[in-house]
Amino acid sequence: MKVFFSLLLFISILFANDATIEVIKKVESLPSIALEDASLSYDSTFKLTFFKTLAADLNVLSLFNVDRHYNQTDFDDRVVVANKDMNYVLRYKLSEGDNNALNVEIKLINNEKNVLLKKYKINSKNIYVFVAHTIAYDINEFMGAPSVEWMKKRVLFSRVVKSKKSEIVIADYTLAYQHVILKGGLNLFPKWANKNQTAFYYTSLSGKKPLLKYLDTSTGKSKSILSSDGMMVCSDVSADDKMLLLTMAPEGQPDVYLYNVATKQYKRVTTYGGIDVNGQFIDNNTIAFISNRLGYPNVFSQKIGSSSVEQMVYYGKSNSACSARGEYIVYKSRESSNAFSDNTFNLHLISTKTDFIRRLTATGVNEFPRFSKDGDAILFVKNYQSQSSLGIIRLNHNKNYLFPLKIGKIQSIDW
Amino acid sequence: MKSIFLSGAVIALLVFSGCSKEPIVDESASQPQGVTQPAVDTETVSSDIATMSDENAMGSDTNEMKMAKLEKEMATIYFDFDKFVIRADMQDKVSSDAKLANGAASDFTIKLEGNCDEWGSDEYNFALGLKRANTTKEALVAEGVPVNRISMVSYGETNPTCTDKTQACWSQNRRVDFKLLP
Repeated sequence: MKVFFSLLLFISILFANDATIEVIKKVESLPSIALEDASLSYDSTFKLTFFKTLAADLNVLSLFNVDRHYNQTDFDDRVVVANKDMNYVLRYKLSEGDNNALNVEIKLINNEKNVLLKKYKINSKNIYVFVAHTIAYDINEFMGAPSVEWMKKRVLFSRVVKSKKSEIVIADYTLAYQHVILKGGLNLFPKWANKNQTAFYYTSLSGKKPLLKYLDTSTGKSKSILSSDGMMVCSDVSADDKMLLLTMAPEGQPDVYLYNVATKQYKRVTTYGGIDVNGQFIDNNTIAFISNRLGYPNVFSQKIGSSSVEQMVYYGKSNSACSARGEYIVYKSRESSNAFSDNTFNLHLISTKTDFIRRLTATGVNEFPRFSKDGDAILFVKNYQSQSSLGIIRLNHNKNYLFPLKIGKIQSIDW
Repeated sequence: MKSIFLSGAVIALLVFSGCSKEPIVDESASQPQGVTQPAVDTETVSSDIATMSDENAMGSDTNEMKMAKLEKEMATIYFDFDKFVIRADMQDKVSSDAKLANGAASDFTIKLEGNCDEWGSDEYNFALGLKRANTTKEALVAEGVPVNRISMVSYGETNPTCTDKTQACWSQNRRVDFKLLP
């Protein structure tokens, strides 16, 4: 019996943090939480919108069973009767400050005691979603759960508005807030240039040759980085922001190149005569990328400076996009090959250290997989039955969340 | 967890307060526009295109008309689903394009624009469009068009001629277009 339990314990420890292992069912039930609105300002429409946003954020934390009933009370009153049996009550007060600033005060109540008190202030109520995301982030921190830093990050995407015309937009992770940062011409494949999200790279196709540009979001000034005949895309930025993986085709041959931001020097990493694109840093010395060297697109890895290439995926006959974070790679796989009707594209997760494959989606066209910087979540776009949604997959909680999109067709996305 | 966290100080969300201050950059305009200005719906050309327009303005109208006429005469090359080899039924079109390139259009540079259908919205799709342009380039070179007169660009799925969700429509978008540059 001791041997059996020791073995069980060993296996538990072995797979405890492997994201490719799917958690089918959690034994413990989640604590309940209710929200109580004690706002002093704003109309009922805005108050209800804020409530729904905050409730959705708490739900995405995957730490609580979130009560969906809307209750109003005074900030210093006792918990409303309907919420007496809740494990937690989050009470918040919205009030309008000087120059239309939005002030938010919260208290988290547990067993009739205030266990967390905080105040927030932003200069416009139009960006209220970021306050809701920050409140959820702070509650997650208070509960001691793994970080959801990605919740506060901004999403960057390009959308095609008509043939050869596009816009680049900054949004929150639910796309509820959207700000067009770049318009005019055809600008595609935006990629954040640093962790603080103060600038981004993008491809301009408005000139004679594809051109990689850099735009500072605070000043609005852009500068040209590099151009290439045929194709130019910034596929990934290294963790220290100093190196870029570019797809270029100076001779009409798409390959992955490594670009040094400081020296402006670049070198070719892949040399296959077919298609090599979508380079992703696994670490400073190794990249994952998409290649058709087997006759169909698939995921491969290669040490920078070495010519030997390793096939990463042995499942699927068309794996045309990937995102890497540490040992994990998420890739898009076409599960049908039909020129005459709809095709299904699903996302799968693999680890470079094990042979497991975890399928992350089951239906529709799932594309643009992007890891959060901390690897906790994957952002993606789902198209299913004429409805497009932005999806969040929380790997360690085995939960997917979808936010309906009403913005046209996304060309590329980053966060 | 039960300890009381008190945060008396107001937490200013500086990062997010910055959001509304971020400018809208209109590549159409010569200077970036501030957020206080309403988004302009009027379509204008980007700075790069503006430069090209200036260059064009220096040429004669006749030249532009000639280029436009020749572009219409050049046949678009269509491709099969997920393929970048030139189909047998497109071979004659490539040959007639090559004749035109070496004849009436010999004074111009040829820009090959690779395009794809909507089944793929990632870099691979752009690379597929590029490979289609490259195959067409190689076929033109084989028929005697000087390689230094040809440039290429891929628009992936961002330049459809047809947006219906039908087989006929998708096949119209898997193509290489010919553009002429002075």
